[in-house]
Amino acid sequence: MNKDKIFKLAKGFRGRAKNCIRIARERVEKALQYSYRDRRNKKRDMRSLWIERINAGTRLHGVNYGNFMHGLMKENIQLNRKVLSELSMHEPYSFKALVDISRNAFPGNKVPKKEGLSTVL
Amino acid sequence: MASSMCAAALSPSSAAAILSLPNRGLTLALLHRKARPFSFSVDRSSTSPAPLLSAPPLVSPSTLFSRKWKLSAAPEESPEEPEEPSVPEPVEAQIAAAATAKGEDVFAVVMIGSRQYIVFPGRFIYTQRLKGANVDDKIILNKVLLVGTRTKTYIGQPVVTNAAVHAVVEEQGLDKKVIVFKFKKKKNYRRTIGHRQPRTRIRITGITGYEDFPFETLPEMVPA
Repeated sequence: MNKDKIFKLAKGFRGRAKNCIRIARERVEKALQYSYRDRRNKKRDMRSLWIERINAGTRLHGVNYGNFMHGLMKENIQLNRKVLSELSMHEPYSFKALVDISRNAFPGNKVPKKEGLSTVL
Repeated sequence: MASSMCAAALSPSSAAAILSLPNRGLTLALLHRKARPFSFSVDRSSTSPAPLLSAPPLVSPSTLFSRKWKLSAAPEESPEEPEEPSVPEPVEAQIAAAATAKGEDVFAVVMIGSRQYIVFPGRFIYTQRLKGANVDDKIILNKVLLVGTRTKTYIGQPVVTNAAVHAVVEEQGLDKKVIVFKFKKKKNYRRTIGHRQPRTRIRITGITGYEDFPFETLPEMVPA
């Protein structure tokens, strides 16, 4: 890549990296490597963000993420996590309907709690 | 959006309050003055074809103030503030009309190219290049996973049967250029490749065919 292209890509860099070609070339190469890597990481990060949001949304209704997704799989609802997270943010009533469906399909693994005396007896 | 709607809710009530109690013009003039930027919508609604009875002549400073505002904003000769029952209607009808014109209170989740999109009528989305689709082609998308209206949600298992999303292909273009740079350090290996992913822009025109599917009724939503 010639110098003009390097400087165009080096806009906003700190210090001499945006103005001096030797330093700019190094930094731009590093930036391009990072962007290559991060285009793959972005997909992982976004999925983890969606899962966090779905978890938060379902816990408002008393269901956790694992049981919610299991219930949806059982009911053969094939909405993906991106759409589910958007629904949990912007369409709360539709999301609650989904949580109810999932709860009916899979109530959850509840281990019955034993009281103090009955564990001894 | 929320602020404009509650301000619009404020102005009809203030206008109604001014009408019903003409003696309290002063205090309500302050209310009207605060709501002045939004009372514009109320005044405009008075020119709508709703039947307007003759309002009692009010000489309080509030009417003088509002009269001045109306002259500067809308030059038509319109009768004084419309009375109580017809004022809320035009404003809400206007808002509803605006909503139906743009969004229609329906949305759908549609699957295109193994990606899912939340789709509203009147808006466009970018999808993977649809081969064989020319510009201004009408398209029907039938993998509809969920349809939602204001009061009902139709959740598909996995698909809402007979639901169809109608769309028009607007543009077949390329995405922004991405530079793929491969580098191995200390081995003198550098490769620079530019890449533009082909994509299609489609505009959603309508969502149909979901009415016969079993639905979940949602609780009454108070518009924010």
